[in-house]
Amino acid sequence: MVLGLFLALIAGSLVGLQNVFNTKVNRHTGTWTTTTLVLGLGFAASFMIGMFADREGMTGFLPHMQTWFWFSGLIGVGVVTCMVQGMRLLGPTFAVAITMTSQLGLALLFDTRGWLGLQQVPFTLHQLIGVLVFVAGIFVFKLGGARERLKETVRRPGME
Amino acid sequence: MKGLLFAFLAGAFITIQGVANTRISVDIGTWPAAALTQFVGFVAAFVIWTMIRDGNRSQLAQVSPLYLSGGALAAIIIFANVTAIQKVGVTLSMAVVLIAQLLMTFLIDSFGWFGVKQKRMRLPQFIGIGLMIAGVVILKL
Repeated sequence: MVLGLFLALIAGSLVGLQNVFNTKVNRHTGTWTTTTLVLGLGFAASFMIGMFADREGMTGFLPHMQTWFWFSGLIGVGVVTCMVQGMRLLGPTFAVAITMTSQLGLALLFDTRGWLGLQQVPFTLHQLIGVLVFVAGIFVFKLGGARERLKETVRRPGME
Repeated sequence: MKGLLFAFLAGAFITIQGVANTRISVDIGTWPAAALTQFVGFVAAFVIWTMIRDGNRSQLAQVSPLYLSGGALAAIIIFANVTAIQKVGVTLSMAVVLIAQLLMTFLIDSFGWFGVKQKRMRLPQFIGIGLMIAGVVILKL
């Protein structure tokens, strides 16, 4: 439990950091140039760490593959496309608030349905209220005080 | 309306991606899953780039290597995210990821790190984070 929460904190902090770095890159070049670079480096880093941490898995995963595993990486392309269009049409602040809301709403749906092999948890009123309070927080943070936002760029695909 | 749909889909894809990575990790391991999905994403992005060519190497040469290397962070992000989902489920993982993400942005903005224009955080940002943490506590009650 504590380890899970700690790792989620690490993941989120690094996403925040990566968003700032990607925004810097994106200022000098286009979305797809940035995305290609980001995913290429993400692959390279995962590959190298994997060869140290799990060489057996890295070299012997083929027999364990299901067909859809091959296409899962394309979801990242969907994230970038939708994010760019969303930001263009709504502005970055509002678009990110909506995206975060949908991230969490869908997460609750996945948990309570137990889709894709997740451990199913029963839907409770607590969870719904928790998510609603959380979403209220997102909107107060993002839209409150008309604070000038740094331009947020495409989220690092892969995290999803 | 179209903008709302795109922003909504982006969020849905991010969650689906996290759950899919977690599911794939069960069968082939987390590092192979991270490497494979990003390799496929990279190839797809590269194909799109060859059609659009919205940038080139000389533009990238103007950016500091630190910022260019940000993509490598995804290795740790995916590993941490998948492990978190396995331990505490998608909803709680995603909620904590989002809080940490906003807190990090908040810190970088407040101190003006990485040459970001310094911005003072105001009351709404503190209240917002407070509400998000309260939401997580209610989730776990």
